Amino acid sequence: MRRVLLWTGVAALAFLLVAAIAPGLVAPADPLAIHPTQSFRAPSFAHLFGTDESGRDIFTRVIHGTGASLLIGISATAIGVGLALVFGLLAGLGPRWLDFGTTRFLEVLFAFPGLLLALLFIVVYGPGVMTSTIAVGLATAPGYARIIRSRVLVVRRAPYLEAATVLGRGWWSRLWRHLLPNVAGSLFVLLTLGIGQSIVWASSLSYLGLGAVPPAAEWGAMLSAGRTYLTSFWWMTFFPGLFIMISAVATTLVGRGLQQRTRHP
Amino acid sequence: MALPVGALPGSGARRSWAPWALLRLGGVAFVLWAVATVTFFAIRLIPGDPAEAILGGPGSQASAAALAQARADYGLDQPLVVQYLHYLGRMLRGDLGVSYALKQPVIAVVGENLGGTLLLAVVSLLVAAAIALALAAWSARGGRVASAVSWVLEVVAAAVPHFWLAISLILLFSTTLGWLPPVSVPGPLGLVLPVLTLALPLSGFLAQVMRESILDAMASPFVLAARARGEGSGGVFWRHALRHAAIPAIGLAGWAFGSLISGAVVVETIFARPGLGRSLLSAVQQRDVPLVLGVVLVVALGYMLVTTLTDLADRLVDPRLRAA
Amino acid sequence: MKRVVVPVISILAVALIATGCSAATTPTGTQPVSGGVLVYATGDAEPDCLDPHVGGNYPQALVATQYLESLVSKNTAGEIVPWLATKWTESPDGLSWDFTLKKDVKFTDGTVLTADAIAANVAHVQDPATGSSTGYLALQKVTGVTAVSADVARFTLSTPDSALLDSLSQPWLAIESATALKRSQAVNCESPVGTGPFVVKKWTHQQSISLVRNADYSSPPADAAHSGRAYLKGIDWRFLPDSASRYAALQAGTVDVIDNVQPDTLVAAKKSRDLVAIDAPRPGASNRIELNSSIAPFDDAKVREAFIRSANVNDAVTSLFFGTAKRSYSALSSVEKSGISEPSLFDYDQKAAAKLLDEAGWSTKNADGYRTKNGSVLELSLPVSTNQSIPAEQSLFEQLQATSKQAGFKVDLKPLDLSSWYGALGKNQYNLVSAPYTKVGPDVLRILFDSAGTKPAPSGYFANHSQVKDPALDALLEKAATSSDAAERQSLYKRSQEIVLKGFYILPLYDQQNHYLHRSVVKGLRAMPTVSTPTMYDSWLSR
Repeated sequence: MRRVLLWTGVAALAFLLVAAIAPGLVAPADPLAIHPTQSFRAPSFAHLFGTDESGRDIFTRVIHGTGASLLIGISATAIGVGLALVFGLLAGLGPRWLDFGTTRFLEVLFAFPGLLLALLFIVVYGPGVMTSTIAVGLATAPGYARIIRSRVLVVRRAPYLEAATVLGRGWWSRLWRHLLPNVAGSLFVLLTLGIGQSIVWASSLSYLGLGAVPPAAEWGAMLSAGRTYLTSFWWMTFFPGLFIMISAVATTLVGRGLQQRTRHP
Repeated sequence: MALPVGALPGSGARRSWAPWALLRLGGVAFVLWAVATVTFFAIRLIPGDPAEAILGGPGSQASAAALAQARADYGLDQPLVVQYLHYLGRMLRGDLGVSYALKQPVIAVVGENLGGTLLLAVVSLLVAAAIALALAAWSARGGRVASAVSWVLEVVAAAVPHFWLAISLILLFSTTLGWLPPVSVPGPLGLVLPVLTLALPLSGFLAQVMRESILDAMASPFVLAARARGEGSGGVFWRHALRHAAIPAIGLAGWAFGSLISGAVVVETIFARPGLGRSLLSAVQQRDVPLVLGVVLVVALGYMLVTTLTDLADRLVDPRLRAA
Repeated sequence: MKRVVVPVISILAVALIATGCSAATTPTGTQPVSGGVLVYATGDAEPDCLDPHVGGNYPQALVATQYLESLVSKNTAGEIVPWLATKWTESPDGLSWDFTLKKDVKFTDGTVLTADAIAANVAHVQDPATGSSTGYLALQKVTGVTAVSADVARFTLSTPDSALLDSLSQPWLAIESATALKRSQAVNCESPVGTGPFVVKKWTHQQSISLVRNADYSSPPADAAHSGRAYLKGIDWRFLPDSASRYAALQAGTVDVIDNVQPDTLVAAKKSRDLVAIDAPRPGASNRIELNSSIAPFDDAKVREAFIRSANVNDAVTSLFFGTAKRSYSALSSVEKSGISEPSLFDYDQKAAAKLLDEAGWSTKNADGYRTKNGSVLELSLPVSTNQSIPAEQSLFEQLQATSKQAGFKVDLKPLDLSSWYGALGKNQYNLVSAPYTKVGPDVLRILFDSAGTKPAPSGYFANHSQVKDPALDALLEKAATSSDAAERQSLYKRSQEIVLKGFYILPLYDQQNHYLHRSVVKGLRAMPTVSTPTMYDSWLSR
């Protein structure tokens, strides 16, 4: 059962990656081409997901938006995990006072619930794709940092690392050869789980009008544009939302699957 | 909505009551001071003249004299350190400044909106806990259907944005069935959809955590011992396993608080419910710095209160954490 | 009576059983019934200040219509009718006007409506500290008001003003209690005091304004359907910015009236027997895109014309508005009798656009297909006010962006909140902008196209966004504003509009859309013929 779920997730992710790298293969049309005379068409064979207010084909837009949306998710997660890695390593490897300081700092950041930290960042730097991506990254960093720190602490006390210390290996060598490879497993799981989460977060910001801006073919922006027509033309919000959920479910399934494997080798 | 990544607080060394309380209080004070400081310096990064923002944003085209007056009124002409100390002083007196957009004291705006959000959050938390408990109990006792339901809820929790859930609930219960109002109305009926939107994903997380610890507990020596003493399985479950399951769930409270507040921003906006989340969002959209700061500080205070209470509850529920 | 029990999730079921749903079915009467609270949900921005003298925008006008009154009003035929003033006379030289006030009218703070109160109101609007823009611009020719007697107020003017009565009919020049105006602006903004059928009881910011009936009301405009106090006991004026939830709330009966109705819901509502639509286009200017002629590339009339030719407005209006909006080819709203329409100037013609751009020197194209000249790209900045442009209009801009791209224009859409949007206009950082302007009568042309309109009012707002500076046009508009001969005025306004339209300073889109939807239980709701704000004075609920 778990295996099936894992592979379902992998298949969905593979599809999304193809759509992101070569959208033209899946949907050859131009995502920005308007056809005012064909606006608000319901899903049909001609338009699988229907058309939007300017007669743009929603299927084409959703597929072409995959790249932008995944990029937002990946960048935000990379920022979050990257920052967390710095904090986590500082706390886990540094002297006691550094661990103390970093942990206190993370505690402070924890007092801003996720979306709040993101909103605060947006207040300072203004809304937009860039800021909302960084904001999501920042907002998720404290959580990752806590996990990395505890993982580092476990690895640090492991016998092989103590052995390396006794053998007189240098600090950098210990970091690169032993510590990072051992933290990498859980890091990879975090990254996978995080991408879906980041996409969901970023789409929430877009929905609130603080992220990507129409007419860009990005899922959050499409949702935000479709929200006005919710009661009349459901497909404008349904399909971009569906893809957000597919990507989040897929990364969650893959992430959980990998988690199980690393836990029970 | 967010992953409870790192949400479980680390279990540090436990001490006896008095030092514990002192440390805790010191910690709260430190975090509040740090939050205030971080936000104070963060808003200095905002491009543009704060005096201009006070006078109604860049569109107001305020005169040089008016700008100078505003700078003097708000102490913006003084050195940054002096401004910072004044800011801390006002904060200690509970003065959070005046909202640029609403021209009202921030503390009044926060006070007006706090109740709505608290009600929403508390009811959602209770409903989520009830759902999670029911699911955890059911699935821990071998219910296949329950496992499936709680698995679906877990995925929903991780993958469904709050706004999407809210919209779906509105389309189903208001537009199609016509049972519930699509926007918040006073009274319990208006609370149903907003609460469900917040509670469903949360219950997924809680159920996941509870189920694992209940399974652990059911297999643990003390439960086996109780069984051996001849206690019925129901009694064992309610008396021992559940109590065991409560501990990690309580540990999640701080995180749950944050998640509920984040969710409230979206839910209050969609259901047009008065509350802190909606105020915060409109303050962000209008770059109403004092109001944003005020809400952030109040939320941080709330978070610290919740985590402190959590620790307290932990010590009460789990006798092992009490110092000998 | 229907009762619903849902066995889905126990919690939900409990909540539902506890409340149940009931729908009363009372026969709809035709006799007005007194009582009841009407719930109005507005999609307009929440005002900063409930006193429309301060600033002066449409959201203020909407709500102020319920509690403030003006000296005069208009009927559906477009004639000025008495309101707080029962009669008025213009001096032969046109430089002074005497207004006789209605007797025994009291403000809701108990003070009496006198000529001194009128003087205090005009002084308040003209005081730079008030920060008035709409009212201030409308009173530019008024030098002062004196009390001839307790109930006769004399307006003195610097030059004759043919638009004075139109101006005074607007909610932005409504009359407030002089005693109340003496309070600080912050207090007056929270609870302005007028003579209207309702009184502001409490303003809960970001939520609602609670209005209660004025029991001593005695001063309806001449075209009202009844006299005496209002039927409704009160109005719950809610702010509900999300258009989808606003409509859903109306459908569910949670609210009784909504404004800013989106085109798609308007079409859907036509099929419902429970909902009634009111179409009340705003007077003054049409909704149009203004082309900033003060900076490149639109300082060249050929480039302006090329842009207009390359914008396919008709298809966009058809696709987005489902026939609820009619394409305009005029600078003025269709309710303005002096408006002229020039469809031939606005034909969609990509070939003509390309030719014009070649002639103007924008003859090369870069790799992205945008035109260039001396290395710079033909780029146009269009700041969009998300508070003022409804989503369909924002989509329309996207479609124009796409069609003008074919000609080689790179249009940058910048969605901004109101303050940043004003900021972009103030810094002259725009090439295109759509700014609605509502004013009663063709004098709006003077505000929008006179070169004086490029300078900001005390609030910081300037209205001449096309930045037309044409002495000939200034002279025509000035002459029209001082002329007392209707026919001459008509011909002067016609010539002025020709200059504006033929100069390609604006791209007219449609009338300023103003649709209301209400549940059929609401009777007697109408839009004021002045600036099309709804009035609840004659309204009653048949439930």
